[in-house]
Amino acid sequence: MTATAERPASTIFRRPKSTSGFWGWVTTVDHKKIGIMYGYAAFFFFILGGVEALLLRIQLAQADSEFLTAGAYNALFTMHGTTMIFLFVMPVSSAFINYLLPLMIGARDVAFPRLNALTWWLFFFGGIFLSSTFIFGTSIPPVSPDGITGNLAAGGGPGSFNFLADSPDGGWFGYQPNAGPLYSPGTAMDYWALGLQILGLASLISSVNFIVTIFNMRAKGMRLLRMPVFVWMSAVVAFLLLFSLPIIAIALFMVTFDRQFGTLFFAPVGGGDPILWQHLFWLFGHPEVYILVLPAMGIVSEVLPVFSRKPLFGYSAVVFAGAAIAFLGFGVWAHHMFASGVSPVAQAAFGLATMTIAIPTGIKIFNWMGTMWGGRIRLTTPMLFAIGFVGMFTIGGLSGVTHAVVPSDWQQTDTYYIVAHFHYVLFGGAVFGLFAGIYYWFPKLTGRVMSPRLGKLHFWLQFIGFNLTFAPMHWLGLQGMVRRTWKYAPEMGLEPWNIAVTVGSFIIATSIAVFIYNWRHSRRHGEPSGLDPWDARTIEWTIPNPTPEYNYAHPPTITRLDEFWHMKYDEDEEGRAVRKPDADEMINQLEYDGLNPSGPIHLPAPTYFPIVMALGIPIAFYGIIYHTTAWGKAMILIGALISLSAAIGWAIEPLEEAPTEHHDEIEEPEEMVLDE
Amino acid sequence: MSAEHRPHPTPPQYWRIAAFLAAVTALEVAMFYIDRELELGFLNTAVLVTLSAVKFLVVVGWFMHVRFERPMISRFFTAGFVLACSLYLVVLAALGVVAIRG
Amino acid sequence: MSDLAHDQVVAHHDEHESTGIESRKLGMWVFLSSEFLFFGALISNYLLYSNRAGFDGIYPAEIYDIPFTSVSSFVLLMSSLTMVLAHHALSRDDQNTARTWLFATAALGSVFLGGQVFEFTEFVVEHDMTLSTNPAASAFYLLTGFHGTHVAIGVVMLLSLWGISRRQGGLSFRQGLNLELVGLYWHFVDIIWIVIFTVVYLLSSPPG
Repeated sequence: MTATAERPASTIFRRPKSTSGFWGWVTTVDHKKIGIMYGYAAFFFFILGGVEALLLRIQLAQADSEFLTAGAYNALFTMHGTTMIFLFVMPVSSAFINYLLPLMIGARDVAFPRLNALTWWLFFFGGIFLSSTFIFGTSIPPVSPDGITGNLAAGGGPGSFNFLADSPDGGWFGYQPNAGPLYSPGTAMDYWALGLQILGLASLISSVNFIVTIFNMRAKGMRLLRMPVFVWMSAVVAFLLLFSLPIIAIALFMVTFDRQFGTLFFAPVGGGDPILWQHLFWLFGHPEVYILVLPAMGIVSEVLPVFSRKPLFGYSAVVFAGAAIAFLGFGVWAHHMFASGVSPVAQAAFGLATMTIAIPTGIKIFNWMGTMWGGRIRLTTPMLFAIGFVGMFTIGGLSGVTHAVVPSDWQQTDTYYIVAHFHYVLFGGAVFGLFAGIYYWFPKLTGRVMSPRLGKLHFWLQFIGFNLTFAPMHWLGLQGMVRRTWKYAPEMGLEPWNIAVTVGSFIIATSIAVFIYNWRHSRRHGEPSGLDPWDARTIEWTIPNPTPEYNYAHPPTITRLDEFWHMKYDEDEEGRAVRKPDADEMINQLEYDGLNPSGPIHLPAPTYFPIVMALGIPIAFYGIIYHTTAWGKAMILIGALISLSAAIGWAIEPLEEAPTEHHDEIEEPEEMVLDE
Repeated sequence: MSAEHRPHPTPPQYWRIAAFLAAVTALEVAMFYIDRELELGFLNTAVLVTLSAVKFLVVVGWFMHVRFERPMISRFFTAGFVLACSLYLVVLAALGVVAIRG
Repeated sequence: MSDLAHDQVVAHHDEHESTGIESRKLGMWVFLSSEFLFFGALISNYLLYSNRAGFDGIYPAEIYDIPFTSVSSFVLLMSSLTMVLAHHALSRDDQNTARTWLFATAALGSVFLGGQVFEFTEFVVEHDMTLSTNPAASAFYLLTGFHGTHVAIGVVMLLSLWGISRRQGGLSFRQGLNLELVGLYWHFVDIIWIVIFTVVYLLSSPPG
């Protein structure tokens, strides 16, 4: 397979060949490895975000507490939100989509494997860049008009975590001009803005990749309305990302320019409009919350049918409801701004639009319930989490509907009632759904099943801890507990429930510890799963566990929805599923065939260029932050050159190189050698 | 015949299209100076937007070959365009730049 | 060399496009549709501030040089012509002609960029309008600056293709598809300028 003009006479670096070991992982373009790396990194940030939350909760357990300074508190809630949203939920969803999407549509990989690797490295370096603010960032307290430094950040005794006062503290939503150059001088918010920029770029590239994959790489017979719901939700999420990320990119550029280059977009002193920031941010921010929850909804739509032994109730309705939620989700952003002074017309319009989103959401919830109704329920760990999702998300959705009523929202805004709402949908919703997915698909990664006992312990601890933490926030908020504020007065009577909340948060932490132990233990000692541990319905379970490197030894042909289920089950006259007599034998055959491909399989070869290209961007961005210095300017240049050279090298390099080890004929790998 | 089977333009046709685009640009500039004199208000806006829309569609349709591609491509492209216009129109209305009656 | 004219040809034996559109081409179109949101934000930003009353300093609409910018616009429009001629030549396997038109496109793009640089310099030096003069100026520079950056990236891609073609004596089938992709990007940058020219230069005016 030697193309002629395809390959240049030389490149600088030898093309990597290994698909195992450290360098195998560094240069991989395999969607499964990339998904796993995304997952581990995201989980690390989950712990980090969780620790940030626990510190917040320690502060709030007592009225008038001095555990944290105000500055430290602001930094912690800023980074908690930023970390959880951008460094945990989004990447872990990406982990799932990366790993599962090709498997669910019968493909060998995504449409653009090298771009896929690039997005992972952009996320990785972007996450490091953003987190490096804890070390390098500065947050100089602004001088108040009377000349006395409003230095709430100073002071505090031992354990006041004063170093945090130098971290981004403008909230995850970076409202301007508070997070701008005048009121947040120093570099911390620049790390925030530029870090998010890198992460946004990664997600944008991912979205293009996923859309093309879903449209173009489906196996034979996999019509759109035969795709698993998880694939549909991935498509919807990809479109949401595609169209919302450019908006936040511009907004973040505007903030960076305001902070670094003296523009006046959001500075009221110069004529800038702070409300513009809110519009641009929430134009992205609202679709973002659907980006956060729809993958988990997709997971739940896969898990519930399997453990109810019934098909998903109303498959088409669930699919179209998902698309409708996304579409409507673009039209409601100003419901985050009801208290910001937008006009009554805008308030009415957006309030109405927000209420309509309850309709497709309700359709999904009823369809999930309809799936379980009359089914033979197996309360495995993934099923517990999926049912937990349905319940908790419904509660969060109900409080969301109350926000849609504008005058009611005026009371709720900036109180803990809002905090309760979004944690119910994001934690009770997305995180529960994601754990359902982890327990469900763990066998695909490892060939083993996670311990059911530990899984149930994890679930119940998390369920109890979660509700103890966030349910009281509803009434704490309605009683007037203000959010984003480092302390509350004792006479408000908020302390008892705040103590309960803090206890709840530590129970959550304990549950996560159980999970981590379960993960580690099960990887080595979990019971072997075999091909089909759950008696599942979709085709990713027709190949061996753990998934072979090439996924499908023979590209599958799809004839209907829930193909695998119908391979195993017939229906009797009453429509009940009857297992085919040769089902077990067929499964054994699938296992054998899956491990023994009949011919050579060409896989995309490993490559250095994604990691090198990704590396240049944070380097350049460090340079932007320090651009007033000579070395800052140099870093911009160096970073840009690194990325540019990598891009050119990438463009020249063919996607496939030598055949992999799964061939009978091992050809001599073609090495690129130095010219002359 | 379906989109993909229409014959693609030839170089002479491309040159003609380019000449057309240049002419429309000249018209736009002329309109600018005419409006400076006559102050036509909304009419000026309407004419200029129409002229540039024509240029836009010609470049998209012929130079970007959308007329000769599968419909899926124009659907994606249109979706992005319509979404952008709708969202930003609402933002500009909310910020008072664009007036919505009622 | 293979014929590029028909985009139905499967580029790679492993790829079976369920849509019948080559994956990289579909990817580029998907990406370009997101760019409407990108430039839409910048244009909206400009529309918000360009004629808001009460700013200090000079407004961009007071100092536009319409004849100059008209010539610039014409140059960019013609670069779309040369781009499509390059693509057409390559589809006929006329590598040399394709290369020439590629270079012409890059050259015209560079002329446009030069014009932008000249315009910005005039504005800063002659009229004292910088990024920080007022929000209208900030918005103008951000919009046209980002557009110019897109053009510059396009020029780099065009010159890369040209260089590869020169070195190898022509572009392979796969690289030819890259030329089509760069072409789509280039035309997109052109249509954004079509909008900018009208909305920013011809239609906007300072307050009062």
